[in-house]
Amino acid sequence: MRRYNSFRSISTGTLKWLFLGFFFLYTLLPFLWLILSSFKTNYEFTTAPFSFPETWQFENYVKAIRISGLPRLFVNSLIVSVGSTALNLFVSSLGAFVFARERFRFQNLLLNIIIAGVLIPIIGLMVPYFKIITTLRLYDTKLGLIVTYAAINLPISVFLLYGFMKRIPRELEEAAVIDGCSFRQRYSRVIIPLSRMGLVTAGIFVFLYSWNDFIYALLLTSSVKARTLQLGIRFFVSQFFTDYTAMFAAIVITILPSIIIYIIFHDKIIHGLTSGSVKE
Amino acid sequence: MKKHSVCLIFAGLLFLLLIPAVAFAGGQKDKGPEKEVELTFPTFWVGQDSKSAPIQTLVDRFNEENAGKIRVVIEPNPDTDGYRSKINSGLAAGVVPDIFVFNPDPTTFGYYESDLLMDFTDDLTGDWAKSFADGYIQASTMNGVVKSIPFEIGVTPIWYNEDLFKKAGINGFPKTFDEFWAAADKLKAAGIVPTSQMTGGANAWTSMLWYSHILASLGGPTVWERPLTDPIYVKAAEILLKLYTDGNTTKDAVGGDAGVAGGHYMAGNTAIFINGPWYIGRIKGDAPAVHAATRLAYAPAVSGGKYGAMIGFQLSNLAAGNTDDPVKRAAVIKFMKFLTDPENVSMISQASGAMFALKYEMGEDVDPLLKQFIEISSQASFSVPHFQSQYRIEVVQELGQAIGAMVLGKATPEEFVQMLIDVNQ
Repeated sequence: MRRYNSFRSISTGTLKWLFLGFFFLYTLLPFLWLILSSFKTNYEFTTAPFSFPETWQFENYVKAIRISGLPRLFVNSLIVSVGSTALNLFVSSLGAFVFARERFRFQNLLLNIIIAGVLIPIIGLMVPYFKIITTLRLYDTKLGLIVTYAAINLPISVFLLYGFMKRIPRELEEAAVIDGCSFRQRYSRVIIPLSRMGLVTAGIFVFLYSWNDFIYALLLTSSVKARTLQLGIRFFVSQFFTDYTAMFAAIVITILPSIIIYIIFHDKIIHGLTSGSVKE
Repeated sequence: MKKHSVCLIFAGLLFLLLIPAVAFAGGQKDKGPEKEVELTFPTFWVGQDSKSAPIQTLVDRFNEENAGKIRVVIEPNPDTDGYRSKINSGLAAGVVPDIFVFNPDPTTFGYYESDLLMDFTDDLTGDWAKSFADGYIQASTMNGVVKSIPFEIGVTPIWYNEDLFKKAGINGFPKTFDEFWAAADKLKAAGIVPTSQMTGGANAWTSMLWYSHILASLGGPTVWERPLTDPIYVKAAEILLKLYTDGNTTKDAVGGDAGVAGGHYMAGNTAIFINGPWYIGRIKGDAPAVHAATRLAYAPAVSGGKYGAMIGFQLSNLAAGNTDDPVKRAAVIKFMKFLTDPENVSMISQASGAMFALKYEMGEDVDPLLKQFIEISSQASFSVPHFQSQYRIEVVQELGQAIGAMVLGKATPEEFVQMLIDVNQ
């Protein structure tokens, strides 16, 4: 019996490591391939995509920084993503609070109209956003992108936050009112702290969208003062030629800060994502 | 609780700050009456594009020559597809840049009907008009008006690697498809894949050009007057299918993009390829031996079809936003004349390998492959544009999908054409 248990424990352990190893490779291989490719020539990349570089082309990184001005674009991306996330969460949490916790005429109709925005293809909104932003004289400004990204993501944020806020027991608010909480305090002291998970989820959605968007960044900006990283990466794609290896170098440069930040703060990020998920 | 109040106050302040910022933001301030006219020029001839450096040099020179009067500001938009979306969105919203690159196709020519574009009809006369090669101004004229100026053109003959042909025992490029299939068999026997093909990208570029060449042989100079229901489209599809089967192309052609098609040719894996002169710089830098061995030819003639056709097309025109301001209009015309000046065009051509819709002379040190391009295009029996320029963008996008379906056995050549007809309706 002991031998059986020992065999079982070894085979379970082996399986576990095999499984982990597979997922480790599955996750890491594309990134390793990207790093390796970023040190090749374009000729090597197209003719031998899975080989090691014959000569390590460090100049791809020099080119990546020189041609696209990545550091400035990185700062712009950070400002735009943080700004749009903050603005979106502020506005959507106010909206979701009213829809989830108050009762008024046409409540469901209005909520459905807002949430239906999720179904509208982003491409379909290009012309109206272009017109609005140029009319507001926000063309080629970071603020223009902040307002646009915050607005584009309002339907999904309201939808998510409404779901979270709706689940909060009404008794908590009633107790707060009895203790003297005003309408504003109900929002700020009761509902918002209890909707942390929803805010984190919606915030991640908005941040990732703002960080990764290319089409609106191209549409609404014309110079480096407002442009974001995604446009910098596209500087290596031209009409008939793509400088893949320099583009990969640019991608590696743009990914590295996120990885470093994640390594430093990963315990806090995971804690933030999971807090409240189990009873403590 | 205190922490949350602080967060709330911070968020509120952020919002309050945004309101006046939105109201008074100075993203595009009206500059009022100033002496210097500033012209915005969004273009994709930036970054790694082969025309980036010569265009920047010319713009700098123009600004220097017109200091204090006119200043052209390049707005870099490296991604071509994104650029087109941006320009089209701007046109749809009625916001047009001062100067921009206009892609001549049925979709963009639709904007000729609006008054958003500057009308050059009365300006394109005399010496300026004479500096353009024959037929291009006419091709940019719709209902008697010229609202875009012909600039860059493309010719896309067949490229073949003479060294690989010799290795397989083939002398010269076949003139008929019967000879072509025999040559393909010899290449395969020598371990060489005959052609580069691709169904990926936005337009299945290499295969779209093959399809255009085959159709040109079948339909002659008036091929595009024939509707998609004409039997030549099915016959051309049958030949295209054969180019994809029996080892006549690489296994990654279905789904492959321009990098795959060009990469195989540069690596010497394939012996035949199609592209324009803009690819010369790339192949010269990355695969000099293949560059030296490359010869150009006309596509083989289909049985009963015509030989010597060239696929030639207007790649990029120049256009400008309409304006009531005569000073601004004069500045735009001055810049357009400067950019299309034969000497300046010659400089761009030599630096980039691109060809232009103007009469210009090349210098002594012209690339031998570019020289072949000029010769073969001037000696063609006739020239017709490619498939892409004749149909809406949706049809062009469907082409790659339809080729893939046909090659994978999910559609017959008749069904392939029907897929295009369905999208075209």
